[in-house]
Parts: sequence; C-alpha cells; structure tokens
Amino acid sequence: MKRICSLVLALCLLVPSGASAADLLIAQAANFTPVMKEIIPAFEKATGLTAQATYASTGKLYGQIVNDAPFDIFLAADEKRPNKLHADGLAEKPFIYAMGQVVLWSADKGFCGEDWKATVLSPAVKRVAVANTETAPYGTSAMKAMQKVGVWDKVQPKLVFGQSISQTFQFASTGSADVGFCAYSSVFTDEGRKGCFVVVDQAPPVIQAACVLKSASHPDAAAKFVEFLSSPEVQAMKLKYGYK
Amino acid sequence: MDWTPLILSAKLAFWTMLLIPVVASPLASLLAFGRFRGKSLLDAVITLPMVMPPTVLGFALLVVMGPRGFMGGLWEDLTGNRLVFSFAGILMASLVFNLPFAVQPLRASLEKLDPRLLESAAVLGLSPLSAFFRIVLPNCLGGLAAASILVFAHSLGEFGVILMVGGSIPGQTQVASVAIFEAVEALRFDDAFRMSAALIPVCFVVLLIINKINARRS
Repeated sequence: MKRICSLVLALCLLVPSGASAADLLIAQAANFTPVMKEIIPAFEKATGLTAQATYASTGKLYGQIVNDAPFDIFLAADEKRPNKLHADGLAEKPFIYAMGQVVLWSADKGFCGEDWKATVLSPAVKRVAVANTETAPYGTSAMKAMQKVGVWDKVQPKLVFGQSISQTFQFASTGSADVGFCAYSSVFTDEGRKGCFVVVDQAPPVIQAACVLKSASHPDAAAKFVEFLSSPEVQAMKLKYGYK
Repeated sequence: MDWTPLILSAKLAFWTMLLIPVVASPLASLLAFGRFRGKSLLDAVITLPMVMPPTVLGFALLVVMGPRGFMGGLWEDLTGNRLVFSFAGILMASLVFNLPFAVQPLRASLEKLDPRLLESAAVLGLSPLSAFFRIVLPNCLGGLAAASILVFAHSLGEFGVILMVGGSIPGQTQVASVAIFEAVEALRFDDAFRMSAALIPVCFVVLLIINKINARRS
C-alpha cells in the first residue's frame, strides 16, 4: 500500500513538470480557443516543435505580460492591447491574425428576423445582452452598429452587460436575455447550433491582433508560428469557426 | 468619481443583512433542536454555497432564476418583471450565498442555550412565543450580531455570483466589486484605485459601529 502511494505521489510530481517543457508558450485570448486547439496540433505536426497555450481574457493576459509572464507570443482579441505593448517597448510590431463578426443570436427561433433593428426594439424582447462596450471588442462593435442605425438610445434600458463575449452568449443561451450580440464564432459551438442568428452587417469587423514579445525565450519558434498562422491550412480552420 | 456602485453595494449589504434572519433563523433552530432523519443532509445543503466556487453557484442561479427556470418563471408570473438582471435578483442571490454565513453562528449560539432555562420558563407558565422573545432572543443576540457582521461584510465584497446573475447594469446591478473589476479591465487604474480606497474606510466604519453596538449590549 505504502509503495503504491509513494508511486502515485511520484507520478503526480513528475507529470506537470514534464508537460510544461514546451518549445513555444502562447497567450491566447479565450474567444479564439476552439481554433487554437486545432492550430496547435497542426503546427506541432508541421514543425516538430511543441506548443502550449494559456487561454484567458485579453485584459488578464495583458496584465500578466506586463508583470513578466513567460509567454513568447500574445494573440489578443483586440488591437489596443498589442499596440500598447509595442508602444511600451515590450513587443514587436503587432499584426492582424483574425477578424470576427458580430451576430444577433437567440435561443428563441422567433427572434431571428432579417431586420435585427426591429427585433431589438420589439416589446417582446425584454432583455438584450451585449459584451462590455468599453473592454470587450465585440461589445464596442455592437454598440457602433446600434449607434449607426440609430437604435442605441432606445435599446439602452434593455441592455445587460456580459464581462466577455462568452458571458454574453451565456446570458442569451440560458434565455435570461432574449437576444444577445454575440460572436459569429459562437454560432459554431454545440450550444450555438441550438439557437438562431442574423449577421449584424453594420457592425465593424472585430480586429484581433497578435504580437511576439520582446522577452520571448523561444523567438525562433515564435517566428515559425507567426509564419504558420498565415498558411492556407490555418485560413481554412479560421473560416470553419467563423473568423476571416 | 461615480458613487453609484458603492451606494448600490451598501444597499445590497443592508437589505441582505435585514432579510437574512427571516430565512436563517428557522433553519438554524431546526438544525440546533430538530431530531429528524436527513439532518446532516440538510446541513450539507445549507453549507454548500460556502464551498462551491462562486461562478458555479452563479451559473446555477442564472439557470434557475432565468425566465425558463422555476424561480424566474414564478417571479415573472407573479410580478411581470424578469428576476435576473434586477436588484431583486441579486438580492435573492445574495441571500442564497450568505445563508451558511448566517446559519452557522446562529446555530452555534442556539446550541449553547441551556435547555433548563426553557424548561423553567415552561414550568413557570411562559408561552412559547414570550419564551422566545424573553429568553431565546436575548441569549442569542451575540450570535445574531456575529451573523450580521459576517453577512454584511461578505455581501459588500461579493463578486463572482453577482457578476453571473447581475448583468452589470449601472444603478441596478453594477455593485462596487464589479465596477472595480471593469475599471481594471479597461485599464482605468485611477478609477479602480479611488473606488477601492473609498470601499476600505466604508467597511472599516461599518465594522466599528457594529462592534460598538455589540460591546454595549454585552
């Protein structure tokens, strides 16, 4: 018994140290998670290198990076944070790796008429979920669309704010909010397929930028990864999950 | 600086503190004096919100309190309003996650109560109601005060559950902790600092006042 216990303990101690010895450490904004989970194995197969990603919100990852987190490359959900890192001399010049689209999603199939303005103004829609318009890029984009078509002031009393685009989708998918301004990519999840959506054409595309960090301990692997991101293979994966 | 989130937090903490004895007292006396099968089961269920991650509890409440959940559906039938994303909603959530923090001290003080006191009261002809007001309540004031302090302080700082069921509506559900979190996320560190700095003396003063009341009583 004692021997088994000590064996298990030894294994527990050994496993994490083995797993963290990757050739490339990626800080990935959480909205891109499903795509990254396909990109990493493909990258590993193509290059023979190992990569490991940490998924969190752009703001949190940014906070970790300014505090010397050991990442090599930062793939954000906006342009602001990579630009700021570059301006502060912490990162190389940012580049765009994906573009997202805002859709109006609902668990109720009656709320997906072609005219999304009429839907959000309809008295049957009591609550409209949107991501934080200040911190979440999808929230900013949705706000701009509503301002562009002149419904922003009227919809305001119905708005509830998610901290991230995934929480916004959660509000809509549990039915707590009747409709939600979500990411096109959430339509491709299991939960997303259960509802319906209409594309919000007036919403500007959500530009996601990335940057290689100056503190990167694996700059060569990072350069290879940047190159791999623009390969046709990755393009196809992005399309599959609703990114351009 | 915008004081709304801080005032809202204080309002939520105050109402939670006021309403929680109504829910917690019967449960605490049931656990202290009751002898029935499944008592430890009830105990575990009440203590659950203390152990569960706030996000898990928050998600469960979001489902139950949503218009398709049984609590949210009932509420919408009765009042015509939606329960989630409203002050009533976060107050209800606050009562749920504060329950163990109120039940435990109350139960402890009830269990310390000498049963002979109640027996003598009954022998001397005191009705159960007046026995409650003249014996149980004065003897349990300490426990009640301890419960209030814990509940008030705890709901002033609660974050995860309210984030999940609140929807961060300014003036209705955007409490101080959520507003501070958003300010940090938006890199508005000055705002976050000011709100945090304002919250500390508020908490401190509240605790001082409650401690003073306690000292005078005992």
